[in-house]
Amino acid sequence: MTSASIGVQPGRFASSGLARRLTDPALLLLPAAAFLAFIYLLPLIDLIRISLGGPTWSIYFERVFAIPLYWDSLVRTMQISVTVAFLCLLFGYPTALLIHRSRGIVQILIATAIVLPYFIAILIRTYAWMVLLGRNGPVNKLLIAIGIINEPVQLLFTRGTVLLGMTAVLLPLMVLSIYSSVARLDESLTRAALASGAGPIAVFWRVLLPLTLPGMGAGFLLVFVAALGFFITPTLLGGPGDQMFAMHITQQADSVTSEGFLQALGVVLLGITLAVVAVAGRFLGFEFIWGGSKLSDAAPAKPETTGRRAGFGRRTLGTLLADLLGWPLLRLFGRLPASCGVWTVRVMGGLVIAVLTLPIIVVMIISFSSASYLTFPPPGFSLRWYETFFADSNWMLAFSNSLVVAAMSACIAVALGTAAAMGIVRSSIRGKSTIMLLLVSPVIVPPVVLGLSLYSLFLRFDLVGTIFGLAAAHAIGGLPIVVVILSAALQAVDPKLEQAAAVHGASSLTVFRTVILPAIAPGLAAAAFFAFLHSFDELVLSLFLSSAQLKTLPLMLWADVNYRLNPVLAVVSTLEVLLVVGGIVLARPVLARSREAV
Amino acid sequence: MGEPLALRAGRSGAASALAAQGGRARVRSAIGSSIAIREAVKHYGNFYAVDRISLDIEPGEFITLLGPSGSGKTTLLNLLAGFQKLDSGEILVDGKPIHHVPTHKRGFGMVFQSYALFPNMTVTQNVAFPLRMAGVDRATTERRVAETLEIMRLSEHARKSPSQMSGGQQQRVAIARAIVMRPKVVLMDEPLSALDRRLRESIQIEIRDLHQTIGSTILFVTHDQGEALTMSDRIAVLDAGKIVQVGRPLEIYRHPVNRFVASFVGESNLIEAEIVQKRGSTMTLRNRAGYVFNAESRDAIDVGRATVLVRPERIAISNEMGANSIPVTVTSAIFLGEILRIEARMESGETLLIRCTDTANRPLPVVGDRLHVNWGAEDCWVLA
Repeated sequence: MTSASIGVQPGRFASSGLARRLTDPALLLLPAAAFLAFIYLLPLIDLIRISLGGPTWSIYFERVFAIPLYWDSLVRTMQISVTVAFLCLLFGYPTALLIHRSRGIVQILIATAIVLPYFIAILIRTYAWMVLLGRNGPVNKLLIAIGIINEPVQLLFTRGTVLLGMTAVLLPLMVLSIYSSVARLDESLTRAALASGAGPIAVFWRVLLPLTLPGMGAGFLLVFVAALGFFITPTLLGGPGDQMFAMHITQQADSVTSEGFLQALGVVLLGITLAVVAVAGRFLGFEFIWGGSKLSDAAPAKPETTGRRAGFGRRTLGTLLADLLGWPLLRLFGRLPASCGVWTVRVMGGLVIAVLTLPIIVVMIISFSSASYLTFPPPGFSLRWYETFFADSNWMLAFSNSLVVAAMSACIAVALGTAAAMGIVRSSIRGKSTIMLLLVSPVIVPPVVLGLSLYSLFLRFDLVGTIFGLAAAHAIGGLPIVVVILSAALQAVDPKLEQAAAVHGASSLTVFRTVILPAIAPGLAAAAFFAFLHSFDELVLSLFLSSAQLKTLPLMLWADVNYRLNPVLAVVSTLEVLLVVGGIVLARPVLARSREAV
Repeated sequence: MGEPLALRAGRSGAASALAAQGGRARVRSAIGSSIAIREAVKHYGNFYAVDRISLDIEPGEFITLLGPSGSGKTTLLNLLAGFQKLDSGEILVDGKPIHHVPTHKRGFGMVFQSYALFPNMTVTQNVAFPLRMAGVDRATTERRVAETLEIMRLSEHARKSPSQMSGGQQQRVAIARAIVMRPKVVLMDEPLSALDRRLRESIQIEIRDLHQTIGSTILFVTHDQGEALTMSDRIAVLDAGKIVQVGRPLEIYRHPVNRFVASFVGESNLIEAEIVQKRGSTMTLRNRAGYVFNAESRDAIDVGRATVLVRPERIAISNEMGANSIPVTVTSAIFLGEILRIEARMESGETLLIRCTDTANRPLPVVGDRLHVNWGAEDCWVLA
């Protein structure tokens, strides 16, 4: 470039074209794409290949659908997932409204009570429910104290506890999804409806509900899809009659005889999940997966269709229903005092906050118990379980393993994810939505299926039980987190700033260092923290890919939860909660900003 | 439930009378409500957004609440709409207190700065919304919506969704929605401030005409003094939660009560002077450089220091010293087309703004020119 002259020869043209191609930001997508292709897409394709590899291509699938055990379990999984999604919607909507309507410190507290549990490992939150509902748990104690029952009853291992546990685990997802669509609404819309003579319930029915429908749909689907692949919570809280489909896959994985059939089970679960997402994506746009707005090359809204569906002329089924049922009901409800609605929101929101925070608080208290078994309230307080934890070399080894794996995984995810986010935001290639979809798709693939598919890859490359292998596997899930946070952060950087720096003589690397990096540094820190946390909490992939020599903290917890419930687990849980709280407190200003950006 | 029902009955009565007549120019609906605000207070801790405001509004009047941001004008409108609750005082509509009537039963129309059109509904559905809420039957609804859209010249946009329309069109839809029930009171919260200047002027006239047509009492909130002067029957100027002055536009412009109103409404020169002599409503003053001139004032003001308002367009310039004239030095002169805008410094150090029409026999003054300015006693106003 130093010898560049004004008169350009044909030869220079070609080389500058190549140079331009080499500096195209789209190239930044390559590392992440290669990584995902090798460790994510390839194993999944392999999984499908093996499942089809019987004497006839469909033989394993025929068996899956022929055995009543699996068919029943599939139906049960669907039922549970739909129920959980409905429960989340029912309780999540009032909670989102409660956050939206409160102000100042109250709003921050409520939002924290909802968001914080979201970042605590599912295993730990499920364990907290086991403690809460156990024979010596506070719920039984309370019921006895009130006099409803005389001796402790079995509250665990029923369909009810499975539903309760899964709903509690997935509620934050729903609340956040709905809140983001409620918060986007112009407040004067509500006022305009009120001023037009609409009562509070009519405002909800005619304005709030229709306008937040996309957020509700996104939340419902995210919860439903996540519930489909659920494994930890139903295993720990359910009885023999509450087996979900993902649990069969892990059980079959332990027996070596079922090559092919096992893969077919995984493919069925994957297929159902992808089908649901595909159908949902048709209606909502696939952006619902990462909760973002449409990317620049996405098709603009179709004005003609919205224009045609108009006026009194055509009445859709929805308006017909609204007219037949909605209006008379509205007038009826309109007679209720306005405070009814406000109190419904407060009571249901309060209930949600209690359900999300109480188990964690109980576990934190129990970790300081002086008793040698799980009981609440503790007979006395001591630090004996902390001493036990820190003195046990097995726990300490697992703890350090987890830290190393998580740090390494976060590094991989951040390096690949940042480059990919730059590529997505700054390049002008076509099909950005498709690429984004690929990058974030690991979020929707059931972890059990991913673990199963990775296992054969890891066997082939002798990666089972290695720290690097585990870190790379965890990075598959960490990558989407990084890409979503950083592309939001990058979109907030004004491209004019970069142009200004370049005009005044900065090379593209200098531009990155002096302009982009400072602007996205907070987002980078948040992304690194969440990628770290993702790996630190990861259990299901580790179950498949770890060995007896490489135990991580969640694996130790998992073994202990199934073997004996003791307060050491509460100690680990408390430490995890402190880690998350510490991280969130440090990242809070960043989060606030990146949420605005999204 | 007594009052709201009465409000509703009154509203639909007026509306059906109107519906019977139909069309635009022929219509003069029943007159709007009278509104009485008595000692209204709204405070947030120590901050008084509305500080003991009292205001009587005549039935069918177009009244503008004018003030800078934070003066309490929007809070006052929100109190009327019922979005916020009074801390003390009361508001009477047609003599009846409304503090216990929730917003949706007050039966007012309202237009918002951000239009606040329901994005999930078409233009027609938006305008039909208040009728549907009131349980008006389908046939009447359709007729009433069609009429209102015609008044607002929106008939060809009936089936569009709000996002397909320009800002001006959207605001006309919002106005249509506010008047479709023929409410006795229409509240407008800076409805034109999101529009560009030309559109603003044409919709100003449209709202003015509409007021003539429907006869509702209109409360119009704005921070734009030009808008207030053009549109209102009366203007209430607010500052720091209090009403500073209420009056007809001309009165506010010519005889402001204090420096705040004088400088907020229109362009003004405020000259510090000492009162020398007083004869009835005319007084003689001396400015800081010792020049003597005459001025008018309404109140009996004691001898002492005073601030005198002279509007830029009332100042005449000449090249020679005459009676009642003051020498100045030109610091800036801009030719704006039909007028000249001149800034000049008096010997007292104060700057005068002068707007005079362009005439053939006078050259454009240049910076540094020494001129003489003068005005009649009736052209200046001594502020209280």
